[in-house]
Amino acid sequence: MDNEMILSFLAKSENESLARLAVTSFIAHLDPTIEELAECKTIVSEAVSNAIIHGYDGAYGMVTVHAILDGEVLSVSIKDEGRGIPDIESAREPLFTTKGHLERSGMGFTIMESFSDEFTIESHIGHGTTITFTKKFSPIQAIAM
Amino acid sequence: MKCKITMYPNEVAIIKLYGELDHHEVEKVRSQISSTILQGDLKTLIWNLEYLQFMDSAGVGLILGRMRELHAVSGRTIILNPSPTMEKIFRFSGLAAYMMHGGEEIAISQARGIVNG
Ligand SMILES: Nc1ncnc2c1ncn2[C@@H]1O[C@H](COP(=O)(O)OP(=O)(O)OP(=O)(O)O)[C@@H](O)[C@H]1O
Ligand SMILES: [Mg+2]
Repeated sequence: MDNEMILSFLAKSENESLARLAVTSFIAHLDPTIEELAECKTIVSEAVSNAIIHGYDGAYGMVTVHAILDGEVLSVSIKDEGRGIPDIESAREPLFTTKGHLERSGMGFTIMESFSDEFTIESHIGHGTTITFTKKFSPIQAIAM
Repeated sequence: MKCKITMYPNEVAIIKLYGELDHHEVEKVRSQISSTILQGDLKTLIWNLEYLQFMDSAGVGLILGRMRELHAVSGRTIILNPSPTMEKIFRFSGLAAYMMHGGEEIAISQARGIVNG
C-alpha cells in the first residue's frame, strides 16, 4: 500500500464538494487524465450524496470516505450509518429512485458502476450502507512513451 | 456555482452554468430557471455546459425536471457542449438525442428550426 486517507464529515450537502476535492487531491500525483479524474469525482459525488439524501434523509450522522492507493489502483469506500437499502437489486436498476419527488433521476448507481472498475454495495437495514469502488489510473507519461 | 440566463427573441433561452453542479448547488439555481420557463412564451431551453466544471446525477435531475415543465408549454431542450464525462452521464440517462456541440448561434438556429417545424 502506498497511501491511505480517512475523511469523516457531517451529512450536510455542502460537504459533497469537500469529499470530491479530498479524493481528487489524494490521487493528483498520479497525473490522471481529465476524464479519469472527472469520472472518479463523479463516483464520489454520487455515493456521498446518496449517503446524505437517502441514508440520513435530513438526520444528523457521519459520512466516512476511506481511500487507499496501491500503485495505480485507487480503492475508495464511502460509508453511512443511516437507514440502509431494503432491496439492493432494485436500487441498482437504472432509473430506480425512491425520491422522484426531489428530482432524483435514479441514475446514481448506474453511473458509479459504469465509471469504476469494481463496484460493490453492502447494506444492512437500520445500520447503514457502504459502497466500495476501485479505479485504475493510466498515468499520462506512460501513455506518451 | 453561477447561472446566467440570456433570453433571445423567438422564445429561446440560453442557460450558462459555471462551476460545479451537484445536489447542494442544484437547489440554488432550480427556482431561477423554473421561473424563466413559466414566465412567458419560452419554446426552447439551451443548456450551455461549456463552462461547467463538474456535474453528477443532480444535473440530470435538474434538466429532466425542467424538460417536464417545458413539456407543459410544448418547449424543447438542447444540451450544448457537455464534457466527455457529462456526455456519458447523459447517454446512460437516455438524453443522447438532446446533445449537440458547437457555438450558441448554431444551437439557436437549430432551436428556431425545431420551433418553426
Ligand atoms: N446510502 C443509501 N442509503 C439508503 N438508501 C440508498 C442509499 N443509496 C441509494 N439508496 C437507494 O437506492 C436508490 C437508487 O440510488 P441511485 O443513486 O441510483 O438513485 P437516486 O439517488 O435515487 O437518484 P440520482 O442518483 O440519479 O440522483 C435510491 O433512490 C435509494 O432508495
Ligand atoms: Mg443517487
